[in-house]
Amino acid sequence: MAATLSREDLLRAYRMMKTIREFEERVHTEFATGEIPGFVHLYAGEEASATGICLHLNDNDKIASTHRGHGHCIAKGVDVYGMMAEIYGRATGTCRGKGGSMHIADLDMGMMGANGIVGGGPPLICGAGLAAKFKKNKGVAIAFVGDGGSNQGTTLESLNLATVWNLPCIFVMENNGYAESTASKWSVACKDIVERAHGFGMPGVMVDGHDFFAVYEAAGEAITRARQGGGPTLIECKLNRYFGHFEGDAQTYRGPDEVKKLRETKDCIKSFARRVTSAGMLSQAEMDAIDKTVLANIDDAVAKAKAAPKPSAKDLLTDVYTSY
Amino acid sequence: MASLSSIENPAVGIVANPASGRDVRRLVAKASVFHTTEKCNMVQRALTAMASCGVRSAVMTRDLGGIAAGVVRAMEAHRSQTPNPWPRVLFLDLPIEDSAQDSVRAVEHMLELGVAVVVVLGGDGTHRVIASRCGSVPLVALSTGTNNAFPEIREATIAGLAAGLVAVGAVPRELATVRNKLLRVRMNDEMRDLALVDVCASNDAWTGARALWRAEDLTELFVTTAKADAIGLSAIAGLTAPVERETPRGVRLRLCPAGQGVMTVRAPIAPGLIARVGIAEVSPIYPGKECALCSDRGVLALDGEREIEFGPDDRLSVSLELDGPVTVDIASVMKLAAQRGLFAEAAAAPAPALARSWSREGEGAIAAKPANTSN
Repeated sequence: MAATLSREDLLRAYRMMKTIREFEERVHTEFATGEIPGFVHLYAGEEASATGICLHLNDNDKIASTHRGHGHCIAKGVDVYGMMAEIYGRATGTCRGKGGSMHIADLDMGMMGANGIVGGGPPLICGAGLAAKFKKNKGVAIAFVGDGGSNQGTTLESLNLATVWNLPCIFVMENNGYAESTASKWSVACKDIVERAHGFGMPGVMVDGHDFFAVYEAAGEAITRARQGGGPTLIECKLNRYFGHFEGDAQTYRGPDEVKKLRETKDCIKSFARRVTSAGMLSQAEMDAIDKTVLANIDDAVAKAKAAPKPSAKDLLTDVYTSY
Repeated sequence: MASLSSIENPAVGIVANPASGRDVRRLVAKASVFHTTEKCNMVQRALTAMASCGVRSAVMTRDLGGIAAGVVRAMEAHRSQTPNPWPRVLFLDLPIEDSAQDSVRAVEHMLELGVAVVVVLGGDGTHRVIASRCGSVPLVALSTGTNNAFPEIREATIAGLAAGLVAVGAVPRELATVRNKLLRVRMNDEMRDLALVDVCASNDAWTGARALWRAEDLTELFVTTAKADAIGLSAIAGLTAPVERETPRGVRLRLCPAGQGVMTVRAPIAPGLIARVGIAEVSPIYPGKECALCSDRGVLALDGEREIEFGPDDRLSVSLELDGPVTVDIASVMKLAAQRGLFAEAAAAPAPALARSWSREGEGAIAAKPANTSN
C-alpha cells in the first residue's frame, strides 16, 4: 500500500475527516441554540469509515446513506455550504431547504441521499448497481448501513439480490454498537454482522472502523473486485459515535465515561495524524494549516446559512414532481 | 463461575476465539469462513470427548459470539441425562473487551486455577497472543483461523480425547508433547512481540487491513518452522529450504520482486493464492542470535498479520528461541493410547486375547515392546 497512498491522498484524507469532524462539532453547538429545525444525527467519531471508503470513488459511483448522513455527504464531495444551509432549512440548501439533515442528496455527486428510513439504502444501491452493470461504466454502488439497519428485511433482501444478480454493490455495515439506544450485542443475532455475508453468498470482511488505513485497504479490494465484475462484498466497520443517536439524546444507555475514553484512546483523526507524522509523510504544520482553513470554511458556511432566506410559500409544489 | 474452590481436577481450559478467521483474506484470497456456530459445535464435541477420558472440570471463556451461550444451552439439555456426558463446565468471570486481551486474560486465569491442558480454538494470531502467557501448560492447538500453520486442522473430538488423556495423566508428558520454537522481535532495545511461525517485513507503510497478500511488497522473511505442505508465508521457505518443527534452527530469507534475485518460487501464501516471490538470499538462523532487519522502513507482520509500523529511526531485530509454548502432539497421543489399550475395556467374561502380533508388523519408534514378527 506504500505505492497507493501518496502524500496528496493522505492530505485529502485528513482534510475530509477533519471537515466531517468540525462540521459535526459545529452542528452540535448550533443545534443547542434551537435555530435548526427538525432533528440531526451526528457522525463525529466515525470519520475513518466514510473517508476510507469514499476516497476510492468518483462521481460515477453512487452511495446511499442513513439518517446519520453528514459524514457520507462530505466524503462523497457534497458542498459543505449547501449542506449547512439545508440543515438550517434555507432555500440555498442542497435540497432547497425542503429536506433537512436527514434527506440531503446530490445526485450529480452520486450521493443518493441521507435517509430517514432504516434500511432504506440497500435496495437503492441494488438499483444503482444494476444500472451501472447495464451501462458498463465500471461504476459501483455503496450503501452505508447501521447495526440497526442490518437487521431490516430490506437490507437482507438486498444482500440476497446483489449476489443473485452479481451486482457491483458494497454494503458497509457501520456497527457503532447502538441502534438508537438498543445495544447491538442484544439485537444482532450473530456476534458480528460480517457473519451474515457467508449466508448470502458474498465475501465479508471486518475491519477496525477507527483505522483509516484498514478501512481504505479493505474498501480498495472490494471496490476493485466489484468494478471487475466480481460481485458484491460486505464490509463491517466496528466503530463508535461520540454524540447521541440524535441531538438531545441523554445517552443514559452508555457508560459514564464511555465517550470520554473513546475520544482519548480511539480517536481516528488523532491516530491518523500520529501515524502519518511518525512515518514522515505529512507534517503537523501541514495538518494545522488544514485545520485552520476547515474551521474558517465551516464558520463561513454557518454564517451564510443563517443569513440565507427560507423557502417561500410558492416553493411548496416545486421539486416535488418530475415530468417525463 | 470458575474459582479455585469450585474446580475439580483433572481440569482442562478451553479458549475459543469468536473473532478468528474474518479478515480481508476472505476477499483477496479464498480463505475459509469459520462460522461461530461451528466453533461452538467443536467445543461441544471436545467436551464430550474429554469427559469420556475422565476430565472432571472444563473452564471456559465467556464470549459475545454465542459460543459460550451454545454450551450453556446444551448443558441445560444434559441436566436430565445420567451420566452427564460432559465434565463440569465453569465460566471465567472476566470483563469482555472483544479484543485479543480477552484470550490473554483467560489463559492467565486458567493457569491460576491449575488446569492441566488448555484447548485453543483459533488461528495463528490467536495462538500467538496466548503463547506469551501459557508457560509450560500444554496447549491443544485447534485451527479455526485462516492459514493455520501453527494450530492443527484436526477433528475436535479427537483433539478432546488427546487433551483428556494428557490431563488425566494417562500418557506421559514427555511422549505426548513438544516444545515449540518462536521468534522474538525487539524494537529499540525492548522486547516488542513474538511470532510462532513467521515474521515478515514488507514495504507497506501501514498495518492497514492486517493480512499480507501482495508478494511484490515482501522484503524479508524469518521462519521457525517451514513445512513443504504448509500454507501461508512460511510456504515460501517450506518449498525452498524446509525446516521441521523439531529442528533447533530456523530460516531467514531476503526477498525481492519475482524474476530478480537467485531464484523465484511459486508459493501458496494464502488459501487459494499462489504468488511468485523472488529470493535474494537464504540462510539458517540459530537460537539466541539477534538478526537485525535489512529494511529501514516498512511494516512487520507476525504470523501473517501486519502488526508493527517502523521507520528509519527504529532499530528492529528478530531472534529464534527454543522456549516457545508446549503443544500436545495429538497424533502421537492417540497412537500411544491405542498401543497401550487405553480405550479398551475389560470383557465381562474371560475371552481369548486379541491377536496383536500381526497388527504390529512394520512398526516404528514409540512401541514399548519390540515388534513381534511371528504370525
